[in-house]
Amino acid sequence: MRLGVDAVGVTELMGVTEHTRALATAAAGLLLDSLESERALVAPLDPDKAEDPVGALLDEIAVWAEAAMGRRVAPMLWRVLAHNPHYIEATWRKDRALMSDGALSARDKRRTALGVAMAVRGRYLIEYTAAILRHAGDTDRDLIEILGVVDHYTTLNTLSEGMQIESDIRPPA
Amino acid sequence: MTTIRMVDPAAATGPTKEIFDAVLRRETGVFGATSVSNIWRCMGHSPALLEANWNRSRALMQRGRFSPLQRELIATAVSIGNACTY
Repeated sequence: MRLGVDAVGVTELMGVTEHTRALATAAAGLLLDSLESERALVAPLDPDKAEDPVGALLDEIAVWAEAAMGRRVAPMLWRVLAHNPHYIEATWRKDRALMSDGALSARDKRRTALGVAMAVRGRYLIEYTAAILRHAGDTDRDLIEILGVVDHYTTLNTLSEGMQIESDIRPPA
Repeated sequence: MTTIRMVDPAAATGPTKEIFDAVLRRETGVFGATSVSNIWRCMGHSPALLEANWNRSRALMQRGRFSPLQRELIATAVSIGNACTY
């Protein structure tokens, strides 16, 4: 990676990528088809009835969601994962650790996450991530710019894999 | 191993040479390349494909509001997701 990103930034990029793919897989596995939908393979936990520590965690996520998405309710994905206290705790803490400002800015990470979600056709994660970006001020034009990169690199990835092209792009000495 | 022989930029002529020259200028600026990268050399067998994808590269990777770094972050993440080793 050139353009001034060091090993920490590259590692953060890998983290954002694998985390987004994993969440997209979880959302698809739960049959979450839309950010607005309340339908899922497993019914969500009611935050008002959840006992601590899950109740406190859902409250924390709701506070985050209000700041990040403009809606004071934990997104459906988290309310479903809340059935397993260890699962939601570990995944939410990982989300906060990976998606907050670091060597890469939180907004660049989120734009990258949207690209990953688009590439894996994860509808729920696309809507989830786009809602965060729109709340932060990204416009239709910004989302199309992200899609353009996804589109173009799907082209280049397909060509390079299909023709088994060996990489000739080396890291700097 | 690459499934087809790559076009030698030194032997290219006409529009293909012009695009190879533009690709090299771009890649030298972005990551210090000293020769046209293999993926563009492979595309050189089909001038229409080469031109179409170069035009898309210019439109999608070289223009817009995002910084080159922001676009490369997305591109790299998508390539990882597509399990592309190139």
